Amino acid sequence: MLSRLALRNAQLMPIMARGAQSMSSAAGDRPVRMEKPSPVRHGIIPEEWFTIFYPKTGVTGPYMFGIGLSTYLLSKEIYVLEHEYYTGVSIFIMALVVIKKLGPTVAAALDKQIDKYEGDWESSRTENMKSLEECIENEKKEQWRADGQKLLIQAKKENIVMQLEATYRERLATVYNEVKKRLDYQVNIQAVERRLAQKQMVQWIISNVLKSITPEQEKANLQQCIADLQSLAPRA
Amino acid sequence: MMTNLFSIFDPATTIFTLPLNWMSSFMSLIILPYTFWLIPSRTNMMWIQLTNFINKELKILINKNAKGSNIIFTTIFMFIMINNFMGLFPYIFTSSSHMSMTLSLSLPLWMSLMIFGWMKFYNNMFAHMVPMGTPSILMPFMVMIESISNLIRPGTLAIRLAANMIAGHLLITLISSTGPSSSTILISFMVLAQILLLSLESAVAIIQAYVFSILSTLYSSEIK
Repeated sequence: MLSRLALRNAQLMPIMARGAQSMSSAAGDRPVRMEKPSPVRHGIIPEEWFTIFYPKTGVTGPYMFGIGLSTYLLSKEIYVLEHEYYTGVSIFIMALVVIKKLGPTVAAALDKQIDKYEGDWESSRTENMKSLEECIENEKKEQWRADGQKLLIQAKKENIVMQLEATYRERLATVYNEVKKRLDYQVNIQAVERRLAQKQMVQWIISNVLKSITPEQEKANLQQCIADLQSLAPRA
Repeated sequence: MMTNLFSIFDPATTIFTLPLNWMSSFMSLIILPYTFWLIPSRTNMMWIQLTNFINKELKILINKNAKGSNIIFTTIFMFIMINNFMGLFPYIFTSSSHMSMTLSLSLPLWMSLMIFGWMKFYNNMFAHMVPMGTPSILMPFMVMIESISNLIRPGTLAIRLAANMIAGHLLITLISSTGPSSSTILISFMVLAQILLLSLESAVAIIQAYVFSILSTLYSSEIK
């Protein structure tokens, strides 16, 4: 059993070495984990020890070979039946009984453990995948959020532009008002100057006119007025 | 043919005069399942379960200051168990039935523990010679008794293991050596008895390995 395992492993070794060295080897070259042990006949005898005879001897060959060889060894006393032989027989029977009786139960229990072990690795793998997928999802969300930030920044920029516009207009209005105030002031000054000039002119004219009126003219005018009033009186 | 019943323990395994007496101890390296794949095989799983179980058993006994040392005791258990088991199979030399094997396991272990203890915990180690509350009159005797019980520890470990192996093999050989001279019916009875004895010996193989590792763990936990 053990030597068989060692042989099987030895057969696998070059393949494994190749597989370990180059990852690009074809899928057929890669070693595959044997989930179940190799088949055995009569409890512990490897199946391939029987099947190796089949092409030459048929199905009875291996038994004939076993019986023939043991008969030869025993009859020539090459193999002597001493105490070790009987111990061997007892151990063979014991192993057979133990394997047949306990084998399936133990194998099932171990398989369960192996499945659990595998499941642990598998679950850690899937959980890792899940967490990575979540990370990707979150990253995408963050990117989406960042896009929103862009929109927000655009809005902020527009807001600032609006504020600038408002300030500009306000200043424009201030400038307008200030200019208008100055101009109005000038206009007012002009108007006042004109009024004053006019007043001066009127006063000058009136005084000059009044200066030019002689007392005779005034007297004549008064006489004329009284005459006019007298002429009007009878009609009233 | 056996000249003497005890000649079954003679290291006489040879291949064409090449002595292979103690090679059987190295065969444990072949038995240990190799791990190439991440997922263990059934054999691997069985070993994992067994080592975990033994490790758990030893961990509760082990000194808190010497946490890593359960590895060495688990290894000792595995090594002794493999050797004991292999010895049950015919034509395989039982190395664990020899004092040269068992004593070379226990003596260096005990000696290293003692030297370490005497160097690092000098006072405590010698304070163990007189237990608490010993009457003054008994103190010299207690020191002597404790010294002897400490000194014979590697010997008891070695002898316990070797003697158990020898006893089992002697019984097996005694029964099976009647085979060549018995009738077929008697042989079938003999084989039946042999199977029962082999089952017992299989248990003993495990138990003795367990006892050896547990006791050495206990001895190591006293060093503090």
